[in-house]
Amino acid sequence: MVMKREITRALAIAAMALLAASAATAQRGRGAGPAVAFDPHDISGYWELSFDSRHVPPAALAATVTPAFRAAKRKQDEYATRWCNWIGMPAAMDATRPIDVRQGRREIVMNFETIATPRHIFLDRTTHIGKDVYDATTMGDSIARWEGETLVVDTVGFDGAKGLSAIPGGGFRTSDSHLVERYRLVSSGAVLAVTFTWSDSKVYRTPHTYEYRYYRAPASYEAQPPIWCDPFDEARTAFLAGPTLGRGGNQPRSPGAR
Amino acid sequence: MRYPSVIAALVIAAVGMTGDHTRAQQSNVPDIEGTWVRLDTVGAGSFGAVNALTGNAVLTPEAAAAAAAGRQGGGGLRPGLVADDNKPHAAGEPYVVTDGSCTLPGGLEPNSSAFHIIQSKDEVLIVRENPGLHRTIYIDGRKHPDLSRWRPTVVGHSIGRYENGTFVIDTVGLMPGGVPGGGRRTAETQLTERYTLSADGKRLTMTYTWNDPKIYQKPHSYQIVAERQPAGTWPFEDWCDSGDPTQRTSVIPPKQLP
Repeated sequence: MVMKREITRALAIAAMALLAASAATAQRGRGAGPAVAFDPHDISGYWELSFDSRHVPPAALAATVTPAFRAAKRKQDEYATRWCNWIGMPAAMDATRPIDVRQGRREIVMNFETIATPRHIFLDRTTHIGKDVYDATTMGDSIARWEGETLVVDTVGFDGAKGLSAIPGGGFRTSDSHLVERYRLVSSGAVLAVTFTWSDSKVYRTPHTYEYRYYRAPASYEAQPPIWCDPFDEARTAFLAGPTLGRGGNQPRSPGAR
Repeated sequence: MRYPSVIAALVIAAVGMTGDHTRAQQSNVPDIEGTWVRLDTVGAGSFGAVNALTGNAVLTPEAAAAAAAGRQGGGGLRPGLVADDNKPHAAGEPYVVTDGSCTLPGGLEPNSSAFHIIQSKDEVLIVRENPGLHRTIYIDGRKHPDLSRWRPTVVGHSIGRYENGTFVIDTVGLMPGGVPGGGRRTAETQLTERYTLSADGKRLTMTYTWNDPKIYQKPHSYQIVAERQPAGTWPFEDWCDSGDPTQRTSVIPPKQLP
């Protein structure tokens, strides 16, 4: 009899637990996005920024960020733009087109519809590749782990001399930069909130943190080729070199330019 | 209280097994995720010898004539090439092959760079470690788009499915051009790929079959084998700078050994 009562209580507990889980699932279906179930541990999807996606406070720059340092980095960025160099981090995460984020078993890959190499974020590695063997890149060496429902991505191994180096809010990517990103699905999985924290004692007095919120593009979205960047397009080069308003702003483009 | 907890846990676990059932249904999904390098075990030291891997396509008379016209210069050059690099050049005779552009087109088959396969729920990505478009294979059940509204690309539009442990990809919408083994393709040409994993998971056999009654007298098929790279492998960034004059350095053929 006691056993029967215990089983009844157990079934009641189980039923309550399942009801609670069901309610939680329903709750996730509300909010800004479509009422669909989502896995908080899978950030796969096409993600895009909008006009209200950026919360970027000004950075506390170190005294070593002199006018000469700024001028050199600005020149580097102008060169990278002029010659269609791969833009790298963090510019790639500021994409004007949806970013294709795909989470596999061992790694997450981010594909950008711009002039950037894909980002590889490894889930199956807990330490960075040693500096003695890793050739620094515009994207760096990224490893990630889950902390609850937050994906923490840790990146080092940047090449500070290549690509677009400017960091939102001030400062620059250098070869000593350390980036920690925290990815979290919010609004029923319709929004991907990402905080970026840059540390670099030569650039920042204190770590510089800002947040982007990416909106989930429709599931039917089709990946597009990047907007073509032609380093030999003379009209483009002239546009980048100086103001065009005084010259009518509608210069003919070089043959074959798109 | 111990009994109710245990029984409740069992009930919840039993209900939770519906998720395991879904995973079990996916057991025909081969684990092809990882970093791969193409294996070319035969060859004769020249690009032409790659045809030894692919055999010769049996073209329709019309396609054969078009292919011959292409070989005589009617087919145009790949973007970035400034001269016909198939012409013979004497030892010591320099010739320029590129305009310095870094915007390589990408392609379907793996080339000499490593490539990464990422399997997510809705997409499989195939990402090369050198510039160019990457492949997006939709496995979410969508169909190919209306080709009259599709701008052909070097990777086309791909949809995939898993069939008894084999990953099958169907591609259309390709930019007109050549196919290994003397084949041709247009946007209407259909490519079917079958990716099969070896029993030990270390080799991936990719079978390519081209179908187009306007081009081929019979389906044109060949295989490429890739080898899985060890865990902990990291991607290289194949840096290219169009502003670097050495990008346009001439090729100077060395004296050939007898």
